[in-house]
Amino acid sequence: MKTVRIALASIVLLAFGISAAAHHSAANQDFGKRVELEGVIKLWEIANPHGRVVLHVSDAKGMRDIEFETHSRNNVYRAGYRDGMVKAGDKIKISIAPNRDGSDGGYITGFVTAKGEKVGN
Amino acid sequence: MLTRSFQLVLIAVLFASPGFGQANTRPDFSGVWTTYRAPGGAAGGRGARGGAAQAELPYTAEAKRKTSEYQALVQPTGDTPGGYCLGTGMPGSMLGSGGYPMEIIQRQDQITIIYEAHNEIRRVYFGNRILPVADRLPERNGYSTGRWEGNTLIVETAQLTEIVSQRFAHSDQARIVERYTLTEEAGQKVLTAEMTLTDPAFYSKPVSETKRWSIVPNGFLMTYECNEPIWTKRLEELQKTARPPARGQN
Repeated sequence: MKTVRIALASIVLLAFGISAAAHHSAANQDFGKRVELEGVIKLWEIANPHGRVVLHVSDAKGMRDIEFETHSRNNVYRAGYRDGMVKAGDKIKISIAPNRDGSDGGYITGFVTAKGEKVGN
Repeated sequence: MLTRSFQLVLIAVLFASPGFGQANTRPDFSGVWTTYRAPGGAAGGRGARGGAAQAELPYTAEAKRKTSEYQALVQPTGDTPGGYCLGTGMPGSMLGSGGYPMEIIQRQDQITIIYEAHNEIRRVYFGNRILPVADRLPERNGYSTGRWEGNTLIVETAQLTEIVSQRFAHSDQARIVERYTLTEEAGQKVLTAEMTLTDPAFYSKPVSETKRWSIVPNGFLMTYECNEPIWTKRLEELQKTARPPARGQN
């Protein structure tokens, strides 16, 4: 059982890391950087080949809605996400590979729900 | 009741059958595989994929032109086939597998390889299951036939369509040979594929790459549903343009 868990964890590592470019060009996001953000969920769509998330964010730039991309449904599930874990109106903390041009948005590599459940990294 | 002479003939026929008595002695590649990692080591480390992949490929002028035109087209937006639910095709489907796991189902007359990403499936046929060349349908993963050289599985793939959207771009004249071997490291099964691609239209000489995977004990694949959002969007479009039912109709 332990072996299975280790193997699974390794897949998850790959899923949220190395294979990010497998069916997504990494040209627009900097996967060497990691930025953390907090916001309130306005849209949460986990799908293949990529998911789409819109958060209402309030920071030094002001209050606004920002759209992000997530990894595939398969990989997000493999990393521990399950349907119903989050919903619109929930607070969430996300880690992203930011857009290279400095604009709002990026590629979500992990998140922590309001209940403290952690998915990805 | 069988006569003794008939029994002897039956036994002789069975033993003379191709593959009889070999099925149990062949390496069993069945199982779920992920990108190689050394026992106790980090995933995706050295050896997962040969270093030659990033060297400049010996493209012909035609290949340089076609790949350059493609890159110029997609680079501004970062679009990829996968972003549109299209599989990578060989050899990228094989070389890229492992981040998303790969499953192998092995029978004596057919080996089925499933790459989770985009549900890409390859079928490697043996013996009587091999179709005449004229009856094979060209596709992104081609048509694969297999044979054994001792404990090494040789897979030859042809009938590929031209693909310029992957690292090893190739024409429809490409032929790929993979040599699969099974080893064990500290009790962990390791699968190795040595791939050679020959394509006079796109390469001035054959190109090679090595890929390794580690077994995932009791691993599983998920179905990669990808088109559902596209279908949902289409239904929404239809709903917007649908005419209301005529009076008296429900």
